[in-house]
Amino acid sequence: MYKELDPMLLSQLRLAIMSYLMVVREAEFNALKDETGASAGNLSAQISKLQEAGYIDVEKTYRNNYPLTLCKLTPKGIDAFEAFYADLKTYFKA
Amino acid sequence: MENEEKILNPQESLRIIRETIDVAKKGVQENGFHFLLWGWLVALASVGEYYLRQVRGGTDPYLIWAVMPLIGVPAALIYEWRRDKKHHERNLVREWYGLVWLGFAISLILSLVLAIRNQVSPVPLVMTLAAFATFMSGLLMRFRPLVLGAAVLWIGAAVCLALPMGVHVLVQAGGIVLGYLVPGYMLNQKARQHHV
Repeated sequence: MYKELDPMLLSQLRLAIMSYLMVVREAEFNALKDETGASAGNLSAQISKLQEAGYIDVEKTYRNNYPLTLCKLTPKGIDAFEAFYADLKTYFKA
Repeated sequence: MENEEKILNPQESLRIIRETIDVAKKGVQENGFHFLLWGWLVALASVGEYYLRQVRGGTDPYLIWAVMPLIGVPAALIYEWRRDKKHHERNLVREWYGLVWLGFAISLILSLVLAIRNQVSPVPLVMTLAAFATFMSGLLMRFRPLVLGAAVLWIGAAVCLALPMGVHVLVQAGGIVLGYLVPGYMLNQKARQHHV
């Protein structure tokens, strides 16, 4: 029986952000931009959606007087990713 | 990723997860610096103690161990400080890796005090603790040579039971070469191949 997949994670970029953050607990905006190859505008829009869903926390701070945006998974985000992966596996069972 | 909101099918979702996690894991790979640093220091200090005790007949040959942290601790701290400046990401695996070795360091200090107080050889205790931390590191990094290195250290600790105290340091030197230095150089080679 196929499980319905979380639409929030059915977007290519949002899923890439979540997957990356599952390994790297906390990442800077620029690191996410480099690793996903997304444009700054698109990345910012998808991060906002994940933040609104409560999947990630975004912290805006400064380092050496330069603005720094840090993204990290919330416990809700971790649960959502794990549930998504478990549901996804139902599509590949023989 | 040019598409603003590309909706994925299950196959594409799985591919994205695998590819992204593979990219992220490259940042988790260690280059074996700490295994090489401490491996060489422990091996040299072990052989040095044996030489001073058995060959030169020195009265305080164990004092050579005091030199080891004086070199190792600043070198390790400078290396970590420079790496933190280069990579700002917090990394789950690296955090666990650090905690395992912090636990090792605390246990090591306590074990050394207990061994000296009870006048028993500290070598089997140190090798057992080093084996456990190496085993955990191997599992965290999914690097089998470290797991095998840990097995060598455990065997070395057991072998000490059958040998006189005077040669324990030589077992330790051999165990460290096989348990730390060989996997450390293999890890370093792997990191160079992946440009870590």
